Amino acid sequence: MPGAAARVLIVEDTPTQAEVARALLRDLGHEIRVAETGTAAVEQTLAWRPDAILMDIELPDFSGFEAMRRLRAAGIETAIIVVTAHGSVNHAVEAMREGAVDFIVKPYAKTRLTVTLQNALEKRALATELREVKAQLSRDRFFGFIGASPAMQAVYRTIESVAASRANVFITGESGTGKELAAEAVHRASPRRAGPFIALNCGAIPRDLLESEIFGHVKGAFSGATENRPGAARMADGGTLFLDEIGELPLDMQVKLLRFVQTGSFQPVGASRPEKVDVRFVSATNRDPWAEVEAGRFREDLYYRLYVVPVEMPPLRARGADVALVARHFLAAFAKEEGKRFRAFTREAEAALMAYPWPGNVRQLQNVIRNIVVLHEGERVEAAMLPPMLLRTGSGRAPVSMPMAAPPAPPPPPVAAPPAAWVSARLEPTAWPEPVEEVPPPAMARRPEPEPEAPPPAPWAPPARIEDFLPLAEVEKRYILAALDQVAQDVPRAASVLRINPSTIYRKLQAWRAEEGTG
Amino acid sequence: MQATIAFPAMQVVDRLVAECHRFEVSAIDPDIAGQLASELPLEDFVRIVRTFEDDLGRLARQLEAAVASGDQDGYRRAAHSLAGAAAAVGARRLEHVARLGMDHRAQVDPRTIALHVQHEARAALAELAALADNPPGAF
Repeated sequence: MPGAAARVLIVEDTPTQAEVARALLRDLGHEIRVAETGTAAVEQTLAWRPDAILMDIELPDFSGFEAMRRLRAAGIETAIIVVTAHGSVNHAVEAMREGAVDFIVKPYAKTRLTVTLQNALEKRALATELREVKAQLSRDRFFGFIGASPAMQAVYRTIESVAASRANVFITGESGTGKELAAEAVHRASPRRAGPFIALNCGAIPRDLLESEIFGHVKGAFSGATENRPGAARMADGGTLFLDEIGELPLDMQVKLLRFVQTGSFQPVGASRPEKVDVRFVSATNRDPWAEVEAGRFREDLYYRLYVVPVEMPPLRARGADVALVARHFLAAFAKEEGKRFRAFTREAEAALMAYPWPGNVRQLQNVIRNIVVLHEGERVEAAMLPPMLLRTGSGRAPVSMPMAAPPAPPPPPVAAPPAAWVSARLEPTAWPEPVEEVPPPAMARRPEPEPEAPPPAPWAPPARIEDFLPLAEVEKRYILAALDQVAQDVPRAASVLRINPSTIYRKLQAWRAEEGTG
Repeated sequence: MQATIAFPAMQVVDRLVAECHRFEVSAIDPDIAGQLASELPLEDFVRIVRTFEDDLGRLARQLEAAVASGDQDGYRRAAHSLAGAAAAVGARRLEHVARLGMDHRAQVDPRTIALHVQHEARAALAELAALADNPPGAF
């Protein structure tokens, strides 16, 4: 602030005094306003937010000290210089006690006033800068993120640094570390924030639909293309296109994407002319992108186009106390959502959460907390409410499975005629899964290859004979369990597929488990 | 507010002003007013003098009205503002007179104060106007 134009409020009830101060400060180029009463001083400060105040003590309505108290109560941190005709020590002491940065006695020389004001502004600027730096170093929220660990602070700083530029961003990290959240943060911190943020999961789209999903198609481009349809590229115009699981993109699509990244132009499927858009690319993968290049599965030229600013999302196990921070956040959110009383974790429960390595990262932690909230009651989460695998890993050995609402199950039998033991076998011991003993994936482990050759699911058909119909509740139970099997027991995902609330599944699992116990 | 104002020591101001005149103390302090005149652009200094003139007219009226109505608080507030305005431009004699009016221990006749305020205000304005016409450093 020193040297730059500042806002200065002169609080003075005698116009001659105010005019003298205004004239003496004119050379500095500051914007100056005058308030003649304590009330006006408080109102103008709240509305105008001056950088400094020259505060007379004897005002018509109440003293300048009282005005300072009111401003401090309102959270105002303006640099206040007390101006008085009484150069007594008592006044100076009281001024400092009320938060003044300096004290000046009337009448004052120009140099005295300007130096005092500039010192006060400089001190305030330094204090503000220090506070901002401290806040940045210790912030535990950043857009959608929760975390105060050094690893996350580094992520926040990188995102902030890159957000303003047009540079493409490449986010890496294990599943569940928040890659899409990071992509959204890049978008929301950027000048494109008012534009669209379009996320496309390249691994979730059938190969033959990928081109249409990215670039769109025109009516008649292929059978079923009954009308023009814009793709993600067009929809992201003026904003950010997030290509999640970019490593899953087939090589032929990588060529088309490369052209799009290079030129900003693309051709919708079936279109005769290219279209041009203004898009910033943010890509993400849980694989090692360079290893993919070396393995020939990812084009090197596309790699260099997209991998401009890398952002590596740390795994939850590398984020220290963030585990507790995130767990508390989820606990509060889910308790509110589910109408439960949970407020905190016991020390033992929190220690168990901290000791567990969380191979499924934040998403896994989220599932665990959701499950606890749905299945239990109380104000504090006890260690006994945690899944057994968390309690067994106090030694720090890294188990590798995701906590699930039910243990891993064999491939689901046909819904129409499941073996009677199938349901109970998976609900019998506990709602928590046993850890699967396998080597934990490295930080950029390759995901299992998608199975494009898998046949599409057969349409459901009702039983041919009336005696084969099952009670509706039984069908619902089997159907939900089958869905859970298909998504590796990921309850929120299964709920999404079934278009129901995850808590519905949790409640039903609890009820079925109770039935098993009584039956 | 109506109150009776006692004024036994009514010669204090007369004596003070007489001493000033005897030692040829000017109505304005050259260190303060001279500095303003020399450091500020002329238009700024003239604006200050005009503001001071406005203040004097307004505050003198307030002072006289308070004296006439026996409003002790209003009288002291006006005297306080007069002292502040006078101090800002270095009108030291006027400031001294106004401060006597502020000081309840002095118990000076407010009517005497009012009269001397008028007198010293005219003297200060005259000297300030002269200073504006011929600021220090000018030739």
